[in-house]
Amino acid sequence: MTASSAAPKIAPLPAPKTGARLVVEALDAQGVEFVFGYPGGAIMPVYDAITEASFKHILVRHEQGAAFAADAYARVTGKVGVCMATSGPGATNLVTGIANAMMDSVPLVCITGNVASPLMGTDAFQEVDILGVTLPIVKHSWIVRDAADIPAIFAEAFRIAASGRPGPVLIDLPKDVQIRVVAAPIQATPAKDTARRLDPSQMRRAEAAIGLAERPLLYIGGGVRIANAVAEVRQFARNTGIPAVSTLQGLGALAADWPGNLGMLGMHGTRAANEAVQACDLLIVLGARFDDRATGKLSEFAPHARVIHIDIDAAEIGKLRDAHIAIAGDVKTVLPALSPRPLSIAPWIERCARERSRHEARYDAPGDGVYAPALLKELSERAGDTFVAACDVGQHQMWAAQHCRFASPFAHLTSGGLGAMGYGLPAGLGAKLARPDAHVVTISGDGSFIMNIQELATLKRYGIALKIVLLDNASLGLVRQWQELFFDGNFSEIDLSDNPDFAAVARAFGIDAFRITKREEVSAGIDRLLAAPGPCLAHVLIDPKENVWPLVPPGKSNAEMMHGEA
Amino acid sequence: MTEMLLIQIDRSEGSLQRLIGLIERRGFTIERMSLAEAGLHREVRIGVRARDAGRAVDVLARQIDRLIGVRRIAPSADTVHSEGAVPCTA
Ligand SMILES: Cc1ncc(C[n+]2csc(CCOP(=O)(O)OP(=O)(O)O)c2C)c(N)n1
Repeated sequence: MTASSAAPKIAPLPAPKTGARLVVEALDAQGVEFVFGYPGGAIMPVYDAITEASFKHILVRHEQGAAFAADAYARVTGKVGVCMATSGPGATNLVTGIANAMMDSVPLVCITGNVASPLMGTDAFQEVDILGVTLPIVKHSWIVRDAADIPAIFAEAFRIAASGRPGPVLIDLPKDVQIRVVAAPIQATPAKDTARRLDPSQMRRAEAAIGLAERPLLYIGGGVRIANAVAEVRQFARNTGIPAVSTLQGLGALAADWPGNLGMLGMHGTRAANEAVQACDLLIVLGARFDDRATGKLSEFAPHARVIHIDIDAAEIGKLRDAHIAIAGDVKTVLPALSPRPLSIAPWIERCARERSRHEARYDAPGDGVYAPALLKELSERAGDTFVAACDVGQHQMWAAQHCRFASPFAHLTSGGLGAMGYGLPAGLGAKLARPDAHVVTISGDGSFIMNIQELATLKRYGIALKIVLLDNASLGLVRQWQELFFDGNFSEIDLSDNPDFAAVARAFGIDAFRITKREEVSAGIDRLLAAPGPCLAHVLIDPKENVWPLVPPGKSNAEMMHGEA
Repeated sequence: MTEMLLIQIDRSEGSLQRLIGLIERRGFTIERMSLAEAGLHREVRIGVRARDAGRAVDVLARQIDRLIGVRRIAPSADTVHSEGAVPCTA
């Protein structure tokens, strides 16, 4: 035996690593697939280290695009999206995307560089207190003061972003922390399981209330998608026969052809949905938060209803409408645990189904111009179960919500809470990267599209086969509609008739593009779009005077719907 | 009416800003406030007043409770623990 083989075995010390290297390792340890980002001075050490990362970095052309793409990636996969930017302007460019994720409860980890620690608080070049700026719009945030904490902070950040009610978190990395060499990083300690136990008395009260109701109604929100509870909701609806309305974020939770599915409620909801809410005697709220766009005038919303509110976020319960029965828990576990006695609500079910078919949307608009609702309906039906819409904000967004067929809530990406124009293109990009097998289509308007038009370059660079339907009404249509209806037709700053030729712009970015100007061109246009092997844009000219109907005027009760000519 | 809340919160960076910002953003004014060390945490005693009739302090308490780093919150006299707190029932 040699002297060396007799020596006690000592585990080799881990090689010292920079903070930047630890960031990359922490992201790889989380199984991150894509980081959407844009480099700059204060985040350069991390960009130096990512050349050895296992994840793929997607270089967007504006940091807002990074946040929106990461948000859409998170919405379609249910995983955490990651975006990254430099300090100062890079960080502030993320802000709209972070707010968007906060409003719609999307799990994001947002990484920003910052100036070196000794310079923080001195108004240094490109210094912004991004932790302070984003405090109201994050679930949590950190400034990393010690590079050794990086593994633990990143593990905690991913856990917090994804757990309970998800949301965005921010990690700010001063430049010196990225450069510092660490011999012994502190590893994360596993988090305690903080799952809530359901309160059996509230569950029994809920069952009793459902059993007694004559006109019960499900009110399905985005929480159903977030909880991945589509199967549970469908099962509950099938077993009980209780009809349902959905918020913008809940669309797709129920099969479109199920007669009890009354569609979207609220400002641009269906008549059947809004009437059912006004008439119901029990509202079973599943992962929804009584947003004013859904409720209209709150004091007149569901005036005859007792309320069962089921939400993972206890702070949502009683925030806007008192709950008679409050169940703070995950819809996915609560619903299967509810077993009400068989209901005798046949007259109510029939009434809802009758109203649904009585108010079915019509697609026989006069004229030979393109009728956007019909185009969107046909597009979604032809794309089938793998259709995913990434919408912008405006009339086109509401038409998509009203007329597209969504196989699940994961198929409808829309900036609901924030209503941020510019979401559609980067969101489509993030979704298509996440679901290369799906027909992902950005549905945009001529105003919204220009807000993040630069991301056409990202599509081109990575060959992302996103399809784009750009509905061009030569105006800021939704604002124009409100000016027509509520400001006596005093049209102010909504004219976009000097728009560029969008198809030519797309081609200049190297993207296949074509125009649709007449109704008879729609079917062939959809064929071309869906068959295109790479990214492709259809520039669709529509009537500037077209409005979205029905409409509940702002501040009015959902009982006071306006109906237009369509 | 000023309502007193007793909050135990981590000492982590930004925790006080988060707490105060949330209270004001959610429609309350801060009438008085005191701060004490409590082992690894801070204990904040804070008097809040709703700006309008639509704001309920029990909803605010649950919003505070979901802040990361809040360990305990006690609206009025009785203490409600952070984990497993039962929300309002009417
Ligand atoms: C970033 C941002 N700025 C302003 C608004 C206000 N806004 C809501 S809809 C809308 C018009 C959208 O126009 P366009 O994208 O052309 O869609 P259209 O309504 O014509 O379908 C505006 C300006 C907004 N929602 N987001």
